[in-house]
Amino acid sequence: MTIDATAPVIALDGLTKRYGMGEVEHTVLDNINLTIQKGEFVAIMGPSGCGKTTLLNILGLLDHADDGEYLLDGIPVNTMSSSHRARIRSDQIGFVFQSFNLVSRMNVIENVALPLTYQGYPTTKRLQAASKVLATFHLSEREYYMPWQLSGGQTQRVAIARALVNNPAIVLADEPTGNLDSRSSHVIMEELADIHRHGNTIIMVTHNPALTSYASRVIHMIDGRIDTDTQLPRPAKPAVAPKRKLGKKSKKSQKVETA
Amino acid sequence: MRLLVGHHLTNAYESLRSNRMRTALTILGVTIGISSIVVILSLSAGAAQIVNNQVDQLGGTIAVIRPGTPDRESQINTITANISGSEMTSSLTERDVKDIEDIDHVTAVAPIMILGGSVSSDSSRPRNIQIIATTPGMTDVATIPMAEGQFIDTVTNDDTAVIGHQLSIDLFGTDTSVGRTFTTHGVQFTVIGILKRQNNPINFNNVDFDHAAIINLQSGKGFNQGIATIQQINIRATSTDKFPEVLRQVNEKLTRNHHGEKDFVILTDGDLARPSTQLFSTVSASLTAVASISLIVGGIGIMNILLVSVTERTREIGIRKALGASNIHIVWQFLIESLVMSLAGGIAGYFAGYIIAFSIARSFLTFDPVFGWSIVGASMGTSLIVGIVFGLYPAILAARKNPIEALRQFH
Ligand SMILES: Nc1ncnc2c1ncn2[C@@H]1O[C@H](COP(=O)(O)OP(=O)(O)O)[C@@H](O)[C@H]1O
Ligand SMILES: [Mg+2]
Repeated sequence: MTIDATAPVIALDGLTKRYGMGEVEHTVLDNINLTIQKGEFVAIMGPSGCGKTTLLNILGLLDHADDGEYLLDGIPVNTMSSSHRARIRSDQIGFVFQSFNLVSRMNVIENVALPLTYQGYPTTKRLQAASKVLATFHLSEREYYMPWQLSGGQTQRVAIARALVNNPAIVLADEPTGNLDSRSSHVIMEELADIHRHGNTIIMVTHNPALTSYASRVIHMIDGRIDTDTQLPRPAKPAVAPKRKLGKKSKKSQKVETA
Repeated sequence: MRLLVGHHLTNAYESLRSNRMRTALTILGVTIGISSIVVILSLSAGAAQIVNNQVDQLGGTIAVIRPGTPDRESQINTITANISGSEMTSSLTERDVKDIEDIDHVTAVAPIMILGGSVSSDSSRPRNIQIIATTPGMTDVATIPMAEGQFIDTVTNDDTAVIGHQLSIDLFGTDTSVGRTFTTHGVQFTVIGILKRQNNPINFNNVDFDHAAIINLQSGKGFNQGIATIQQINIRATSTDKFPEVLRQVNEKLTRNHHGEKDFVILTDGDLARPSTQLFSTVSASLTAVASISLIVGGIGIMNILLVSVTERTREIGIRKALGASNIHIVWQFLIESLVMSLAGGIAGYFAGYIIAFSIARSFLTFDPVFGWSIVGASMGTSLIVGIVFGLYPAILAARKNPIEALRQFH
């Protein structure tokens, strides 16, 4: 499945992030070297507090490293202007936050359509596209709900729908299935696997070892370092939940749950 | 890059609507500022128009000569000096008046000498008024309507006076006081005429006729060691087409009389209105400056609410940036919110000012306010500027938030 590409999408060289100063200084990311090719599906695992979210934030151009180099599509990100970074976030990156981060005063469909706003889509196109993505996540009836009216699982699905609405080349997902039961988790994973099949790069943090089977590569982190980095032999189709159509998937998913 | 004005407008609308009370109070601040500016500008435009209308009605045949050099400042000085009265010396002489009378096509000439002075009657306390010493020609230049009796004329006695409607009431308790007497400068005057109420202290003579007394130039000179201190000479020509020629000759004669020294100004049409207009614009400019203070207060209100709103929406700003909003997008988001408030305040302020100006004018004044496009422009322009000036800082503050720190807020 991995698509050959000349330059890696992401290349980290000695990436280091520290918090605090002097006595209280502690290194959250410690000299990370990592290369991710276009089309990889990377699962990042590791104990809480080992720096997974911090790494994802840096990859998503939301945060800066203190040391080391980060090349995105071969371009060092620390040379980019803030508007260039904004444009990359807008055009190339889809971010699923660990804490959902829906805009509380906007309804579901507006939240999902928000990334398209900054790409300059007109309102109707934006809402159409958002509506389409929401449908794949079985949220069509919730389009006009406000975020506080949703269950935890629904909120998470909206957050993922929002990350995918602009069909980003790189999807960064921080525990996208954290709040979901295993059936809903597979709905999400199936959707990620689907866009992965279209050649998009996916980097996902998860605590659930069962979900790593969707990935092409699993990275274990401990204390800000990469502990193990394993390429998985990728079957032509995911090992589980092979059906494409989300709507017909429920029975299969239930089987997976028991597996 | 697209500025997404439409998106920001909907967004601003939603956000402002979700805090109705807060938004309304903020807008009210701007409304008050803009409405006071609108009131001041429209009333002073109304006042200026009265003078313009008077001058227009005179049909381009009237000129006024005043002492002084013909630069703008001294024109204003001339106005204010006129009101202060007889202490002033003047470069204009009775000979000038005589010479002007001799010019062809001059139908009427009136020297005007304004004296201060206290007047009293048997039944009243002394009061200070303007006493105008002039010749019968004054009412020929521009008609001064009479309520009763007659204007001073060549056959009337020196010690007679025509008084204003209000002065008559003040002195004698009645507006039919012809034949009664009052004393000023130790001389007793008999009232021979009462002026119609004019209710119009604004005119090119700069005399509030309702409160003035008009006496003969000879009597006036008597109060000033026999010297006529002429503050103004009013001239009327027979017709508009003869007017330029009259002016040329007046200028020539006076220049000769004054040995080539340009110590007088000839005011016609627009000029005639301008000193007063200028005085109004000076006054209204200072009033506007005062009103601007309330506008600044309104602007600070906007800034304050926006700062609150930026803090409340820190997390939203983080999310928007994470989803691809650039700093410029965020600046626009808050700037447009600011502009929506200030322009709403501007529009409301214009209409409030319109209503207030008319109510003031109808209850206390004798003229209506004048509303032109310039006032619409001034109120919209000012509120636009207020919106930008006071919205920019919160907007920039919002845009400069670090997305990752913004996202961590309230968690
Ligand atoms: N703003 C911050 N200031 C100080 N320490 C921080 C900050 N953000 C994260 N950390 C620390 O960095 C470490 C890694 O955090 P994080 O990347 O969120 O871990 P996780 O792997 O659970 O996602 C944690 O020990 C956390 O306390
Ligand atoms: Mg985390």
